[in-house]
Amino acid sequence: MGYLRKASKTLKQSNYVSLLFNFNLTHQRFSLNRALFCTQSRQNNTKEKPVIDLSQYPPELVRNFSIIAHVDHGKSTLADRLLELTGTIKKGLGQPQYLDKLQVERERGITVKAQTATMFYKNIINGDDGKESPNYLLNLIDTPGHVDFSYEVSRSLAACQGVLLVVDAAQGVQAQTVANFYLAFESNLSIIPVINKIDQPTADPDRVKAQLKSMFDLDPSDALLTSAKTGKGLEQVLPAVIERIPPPHGRSESSLRMLLLDSYYDEYKGVICHVAVVDGALRKGDKISSAATGRSYEALDIGIMHPELTSTGVLLTGQVGYVISGMRSTKEARVGDTIYHTRSEGPVEPLPGFKPAKHMVFSGLYPADGSDFEALNHAIERLTCNDASVSVAKETSTALGLGFRCGFLGLLHMDVFHQRLEQEYGAHIISTVPTVPYIYEYSDGSKLEVQNPASLPSNPKQRVVACWEPTVIATIVIPSEYVGPVITLVSERRGQQLEHSFIDSQRAFMKYRIPLREIVVDFYNELKSITSGYASFDYEDSDYQPSDLVKLDILLNGQPVDAMATIVHNSKAYRVGRELVEKLKKVIDRQMFEISIQAAIGSKIVARETITAMRKNVLAKCYGGDITRKRKLLEKQKEGKKRMKRVGSVDIPQEAFHELLKVS
Amino acid sequence: MLKSTFTPIYLVLSPKPKSPKLSSHIITNTFSNSTQPVRQNSSLKHTPSSAYVHLPFCRKRCHYCDFPIVALGSASTQTQNDPRVSNYIQWLCREINATKIDEENTNTPLQTVFFGGGTPSLVPPTMVSSVLETLRNKFGLSQSAEISMEMDPGTFDYKKMQEMMLLGVNRVSLGVQAFQEKLLRSCGRAHGLKEVHEAIDIVKSCGVENWSIDLIASLPHQTSDMWEESLRLAIEAQPTHVSVYDLQIEQGTKFGRMYAPGEFPLPCETQSAEFYKMASRMLGDANYNHYEISSYCKSGYECRHNYTYWKNKPFYAFGLGSTSFVGGLRFSRPKMVNEYMNFVQNLENGSVNSSSDNDIHGKDTAMDVVMLSLRTARGLDLKRFGESFGSSLVLSLLEAYKPYVESEHVVFLDEQRITIGIDDVKNAHLDETNSERRVAYIRLSDPNGFLLSNELIALAFGVIDS
Repeated sequence: MGYLRKASKTLKQSNYVSLLFNFNLTHQRFSLNRALFCTQSRQNNTKEKPVIDLSQYPPELVRNFSIIAHVDHGKSTLADRLLELTGTIKKGLGQPQYLDKLQVERERGITVKAQTATMFYKNIINGDDGKESPNYLLNLIDTPGHVDFSYEVSRSLAACQGVLLVVDAAQGVQAQTVANFYLAFESNLSIIPVINKIDQPTADPDRVKAQLKSMFDLDPSDALLTSAKTGKGLEQVLPAVIERIPPPHGRSESSLRMLLLDSYYDEYKGVICHVAVVDGALRKGDKISSAATGRSYEALDIGIMHPELTSTGVLLTGQVGYVISGMRSTKEARVGDTIYHTRSEGPVEPLPGFKPAKHMVFSGLYPADGSDFEALNHAIERLTCNDASVSVAKETSTALGLGFRCGFLGLLHMDVFHQRLEQEYGAHIISTVPTVPYIYEYSDGSKLEVQNPASLPSNPKQRVVACWEPTVIATIVIPSEYVGPVITLVSERRGQQLEHSFIDSQRAFMKYRIPLREIVVDFYNELKSITSGYASFDYEDSDYQPSDLVKLDILLNGQPVDAMATIVHNSKAYRVGRELVEKLKKVIDRQMFEISIQAAIGSKIVARETITAMRKNVLAKCYGGDITRKRKLLEKQKEGKKRMKRVGSVDIPQEAFHELLKVS
Repeated sequence: MLKSTFTPIYLVLSPKPKSPKLSSHIITNTFSNSTQPVRQNSSLKHTPSSAYVHLPFCRKRCHYCDFPIVALGSASTQTQNDPRVSNYIQWLCREINATKIDEENTNTPLQTVFFGGGTPSLVPPTMVSSVLETLRNKFGLSQSAEISMEMDPGTFDYKKMQEMMLLGVNRVSLGVQAFQEKLLRSCGRAHGLKEVHEAIDIVKSCGVENWSIDLIASLPHQTSDMWEESLRLAIEAQPTHVSVYDLQIEQGTKFGRMYAPGEFPLPCETQSAEFYKMASRMLGDANYNHYEISSYCKSGYECRHNYTYWKNKPFYAFGLGSTSFVGGLRFSRPKMVNEYMNFVQNLENGSVNSSSDNDIHGKDTAMDVVMLSLRTARGLDLKRFGESFGSSLVLSLLEAYKPYVESEHVVFLDEQRITIGIDDVKNAHLDETNSERRVAYIRLSDPNGFLLSNELIALAFGVIDS
């Protein structure tokens, strides 16, 4: 779908890297550094005698921070540089975008899983007063930047006390900058503005400073000017982190409370949880429990990400690291969960803000080849091991056979899930048109949440008294000359303007309430194309709103194709129906019978096309020498048929389903 | 594909084998009718009783042709002294002699021989004679054998025709293709309309009893009137057989470079379908039986040799690019003369073998049987098919074809070959045990089913493969 391709750099799971570094290398530190680079072989020793002594880092020497930015403003490169600067990764070694480990993250320049990294740093600037500066432990928590994962982001930010707000010196404030700023601002975090990419010829840091002032009321003199590419200005970054971001405020003497930031599944080690210790301390072998699930585990291995798994045997108040506790599936590791000692003295108050994943976009996933159901089942099981935020339920379609109805946090999440299924598991899938969860209310007072349009009765027994659809608050930042076309586009999508202002003389900022359904298909591409790629767009979930919705059925020779049903606003039903029918006419081949393609609301036909019957398909001659060749030809034809999906007597090519995804 | 979904086909084909001793060899029995019961049942192994002989020489290549031919030049009507021809005939005879035969079944003389090409009528009768002698010595040649020869207008005269008949050629397939000068020229034929009429006169005056006119439909620039004229003139010539081929645009041919199917100057699909229907109607009205998709004949004049193919029986083949079917193996010879000569040498010294004793894959054979038999008006004999491939497959085929009976593309027939009405088909459980009028044959309807035979056969392939 190519959807929201560039929307964000970080989707999910915190990347935190412990940056272990000391400018004045002591013997002790040196040996420690060496140990770092052979993490794997060292593991056994570590269990006996941790090399890194975390007790040297009380909360006041710990800083937990995150980098937030609009996509492509240089977040990942800046993270790489900080890791290099502290010797956590060796310069020139390892791949760029160190914390973005998935193929999809690298390809799209986004972060899907949160990562963490622990760094060690000695502040040389403070060392000027003659008093030796202590070593600091800095945890970089790399969060997904995209709105689909705003819940994960808010959880990651909950483990931070401050952020680096990175803004491209040429592009200035963009939609995601705004969204991310408010997330950080609402979490009461210290915000350090970093104007990055100042080496560009078009860089205009002063303009960006002015934008930061007018949009966010950030003091221009607080902004750091950097180029992560050339290294310019980077030396100011970590001192600023230490000076301007407060230490974590947990209570060391309290019972253990840990925030679960994210988890991932490792073939050999099982579920690995990224955690932030808010209060108390965790030691290897401790019995721990989850507040969300009530399940108990044993902390089998504990450590920091430095930058890979590095056992420490202990995690103290304010520190960030990983826990391996024998969880079988990441479904047990809920983002935002609170983990505490099973035998705590007195009740433990869970950390605030936990909520289960909210699925905003649903689509049916079917094996492209019907016989591959088991393989797809397996692939989805494996992938959801690593991404527990997807809801999966089996469903059956008359057209597509056995498949799954999957719920996603948002569009990008869905897109990424599809891509990972194909890239990491080689699954070939047909996806139905994504839909949003509508709510229907009937005259008998019953309510129905519709996650699959096909499940909505076309001719219900009860009268529908109301329906609601989810809306989003969309933020759009564009060069001022595109305001006209954008307003037209958004009003076509039933958007309602909430705010229209200017970031500066060249850049407009608009806020809209838009039904989620309207941006599910092709909105971002359209927006990009009418603004020559200059628009930036972000959105956040908002309320359900009453709406005049109808179910649009697609019928082939009078038979509804369940996988093609869709729910649309009444005002658009005719247009969408016509578009769908025309698309289908183009992709369905002529067959032995005449085929009628209809779009219908209930029993009312709103659009119709006919595909005339095939007249002739015959091989005129078949003699001895031809038999093998003719048979191969017919077998090829048979294979073609086999790949098609059949409804009644009509063969539907897979492309038909792909094409329908493109109709808004 | 995440994992292989391959299932050994015999599991699918014969869940309840009726007779465990049936092997794939019996498949060739599927179509045998009652005329030769003794020979057919005497052995499960079949020695071919048909031979195809490829004589590749042509004066020039026609624009639609992608066959393995050797163009001699437009002036060549006398080939007596052309070493290319005499050498080839020698290699051909060497191939025949070097062919392995089943020692246990040497007493089966050939029942049909077919000289195809190329233009076999370009070859001097003396050389044809030596080929026939070689065949007779090697395999035996039945007194009543059908010996067919493809002959092109302008390549033979009264004398040559008579000489061929004396050698035993008793069936002529005359390559007329069209009765319009303009069309003959535009498809690159080496003869004109005058030669067509002369050739018909020669064949008739020589008293060839069994002869065929071959026509091509859907030629570039061909109009409905032209096609009607060709059919009318063919019927007026009163051959016992008419073959109507639909022009296929093959890659690598001149037409393939010039034209795209369905686009001007080729007739569109609808028009082309009309041509097919017109042939079926006009020839039917003139008492020709439409016994195969592209073949029509007066009663009793079916081409026996071609029936070998359509019944999936074994056959020998000799010569450049030809394909034989012996011991379940379809073997294609090289299409280039030099490679063909190498092949013959290897055959002589035993380093290649053009036949096989291996069992062929059940699924492949089932597909061949369906594909070939559904081309004929006789259709698929379900009893024999069920015996070879299992009754459950028969039921699946019936189920798959049911909707097409209603749409009149497919006809179900009972034992007496009486059409089973649509209501009976709809109500029938299609279970052979309790159905009084068991479906005994499936055939494609003429002309609608024949016209969409590829679709319908591919459908059956899907059933066999599932």
